[in-house]
Amino acid sequence: MSYYFAIIGTQDNPLFEYEFGTSKQGGDGQARFNEQARHLNQFILHSSLDIVEEVQWTNGQLYLKVIDRFFTNYISCFMTGGNVKFLLLHQPTATAGGASSSRNSTSVGANPTSPQTEEAIKNFFTEVYENYVKAIMSPFYKVNMEIRSPVFRQRVAAAGRKYL
Amino acid sequence: MVVYSFYIFDRHTECIYSKSWLPPAHSGAANGTTTTAKSAADDAKLIFGTVFSLRNMVRKLGGDDDAFVSYRTAHYKLHYYETASNLRLVMLTDTATLSMRNVLHQIYINLWVEYVVKNPLSPVEHKGGAGVRNELFELGLDQFIRGLM
Amino acid sequence: MASSKASRLGEEVWKTRMDKVNAELVVLTYGTIVAQLCKDFDSDYVEVNKQLDKMGYNIGLRLIEDYLAKSNTVRRCSNFRETAEMIAKVGFKIFLNITPTITNWTSDGKQFSLVFDENPFADFVELPDDGRAQDELWYSNILCGVLRGALEMVQMQVEAHFISDVLRGNDTTEMRISLIRYIDDELPPEDD
Repeated sequence: MSYYFAIIGTQDNPLFEYEFGTSKQGGDGQARFNEQARHLNQFILHSSLDIVEEVQWTNGQLYLKVIDRFFTNYISCFMTGGNVKFLLLHQPTATAGGASSSRNSTSVGANPTSPQTEEAIKNFFTEVYENYVKAIMSPFYKVNMEIRSPVFRQRVAAAGRKYL
Repeated sequence: MVVYSFYIFDRHTECIYSKSWLPPAHSGAANGTTTTAKSAADDAKLIFGTVFSLRNMVRKLGGDDDAFVSYRTAHYKLHYYETASNLRLVMLTDTATLSMRNVLHQIYINLWVEYVVKNPLSPVEHKGGAGVRNELFELGLDQFIRGLM
Repeated sequence: MASSKASRLGEEVWKTRMDKVNAELVVLTYGTIVAQLCKDFDSDYVEVNKQLDKMGYNIGLRLIEDYLAKSNTVRRCSNFRETAEMIAKVGFKIFLNITPTITNWTSDGKQFSLVFDENPFADFVELPDDGRAQDELWYSNILCGVLRGALEMVQMQVEAHFISDVLRGNDTTEMRISLIRYIDDELPPEDD
């Protein structure tokens, strides 16, 4: 499983991005995107913003679960109260090798729409949200400004390792 | 108990507030207002000179902690209270009055600090009494003193 | 002995006589002031430090009266060590609910350090990453001014500055305070 996480501001402008891989089932935390398709991640993620706008009013939840899919790329979304979007693109590892196909199908990552995965991503988003609030409380941060804080990046990485 | 008058001196030895509870006829007689104002300013200067000297003398004799509290003459009693920030409060009462130290302390805490110091628009230095003569302070002081009498 | 007395006094005043305010309100208000100063002075952090100190000085001139009223102080401190105790255990306690540690006295008893284990102003704060703020900006510099102003009103001329700050990546937040002199009573002007 490879992940591409981005925070999108209220003007649909990117504030933060981070790429990582699973740390479960002995994963090393490295993203394994196909080199040729990797640059498409940003497009796929941003193209799902339209869907976000459609589904964001359908229920009162902040966590919107998987909202979009492009081939094997799944997009999960979390909206903050201030209309900032957390988007996570998750892509199961291609099932070519024997090692990856032998994985338990209920484990986090193997099945992108299973309740376990949904729950794991929700936990990830919640933790990132907490740290996001702390990051934007810094007096030197202005609305819709890119989040450059290294501390925040570390905490996102830690949340990724912990839940995904 | 009768309170005659009350004075505040700042750390620059200037009289920044004074108030008298005496009927006007008693203090000014038939003089014009200018002479009354002048004599009031002179009174304040004299009072400060007196308490300043007495305080220094008391300290010299009794050490720094030995605060000068009051003195009494045949006609009046003068009460003195000094804060660590060198604000001096002076009150003149009749001779039978007991120690007013606590009263002066209360005036400092509840009126001076609350209404003058904490007023963000009042200046820090009260040159010529600026910022002290505000309604809340004057009203509070008047009520407090009248409540005692 | 004097030290535990100061702690008790600070604790009591803080519990019974102080109005409390939401900590995040303070953090955001102070943060906004600093950020705005940085903007107004075009990230001239030396100037920002100066302005914070000046603001603090004006606060200190008034705050001391509130301190004296709330703590019922009637007596002057007998020496600078006692002053330090009162600053750390009463002053900081009642206004910020923190008690910085007093250390690093010089042998003449005229200079000491306050080490802040916690700094309520600095929650959530990350200094701008322009490469200069980390070396030039003293984020909590207003506190230096407050001490300078407050002590001046009780006739002590002091100099205060930060020498380290966790926001800059130092291990501790430490402020150095030096007594320059005791100010004499002012005398009434000579009458002509």
